[in-house]
Amino acid sequence: MRMGGGGGRSGSRDGKGRDGKGGPRKKFFVRRRKVCKFCAEKIEYIDWKDIKLLQGFIPERGKILPRRISGTCALHQRKLQTAIKRARSIALLPYATD
Amino acid sequence: MRLYDIVVLVTPDLNDEDAAKVAAEYKKVLTDGGATVVKEEPWGKRRLAFPIHRKRDAHYHYWQVDAPPAAVAEAERRMGLSDQILRHLAVRVDEELKRSAKMAERLRKKAAKRPPRPAPAATPTEGAPATERSES
Repeated sequence: MRMGGGGGRSGSRDGKGRDGKGGPRKKFFVRRRKVCKFCAEKIEYIDWKDIKLLQGFIPERGKILPRRISGTCALHQRKLQTAIKRARSIALLPYATD
Repeated sequence: MRLYDIVVLVTPDLNDEDAAKVAAEYKKVLTDGGATVVKEEPWGKRRLAFPIHRKRDAHYHYWQVDAPPAAVAEAERRMGLSDQILRHLAVRVDEELKRSAKMAERLRKKAAKRPPRPAPAATPTEGAPATERSES
């Protein structure tokens, strides 16, 4: 199931509106422009104690959401990464879940 | 003197007061070493994200202290030796905060320089992480 979802996503990334063998699917998939959340909301200091904020960047598996998906800018992704890792070390966030 | 964020996790085997007492011991180590407590927040008993020493929760105690590095090092050393402390974390925050403040200042100046431009198209912020999470 996860494989299927990933394939679909990468398929739609070529941006031609082509949707594989699924038959005549809707061509309109409004893709919102991804914007770095921290730049947009002017969050300067990413606090490792703010678990609510960090949890938005932790998918079910417990991994750190890659920037290609979340749209976070490089600078903030780096800060986010250290914040998440610190929170993990004191068991505020999981290292992995299954 | 440097600003530190310190968190300690005390065993759930103790009740709230005893856990607070254990935490206070380490606070005393800090203050004896010349630290001043800026902020103090007991987060209470929280569920751990993963078990530590077969324990599923812990008493969290958080302080922000303005301390000389030696005091923090000593407190951390003792925390490591204790059986009642499951985990501890001390992070220096003053430089990071200073840098963030500087960045914010720079952004503000930049924005002030050219006010007549209308803001770029509304930015969707909430959507991106939330939708992806359900997918994976």
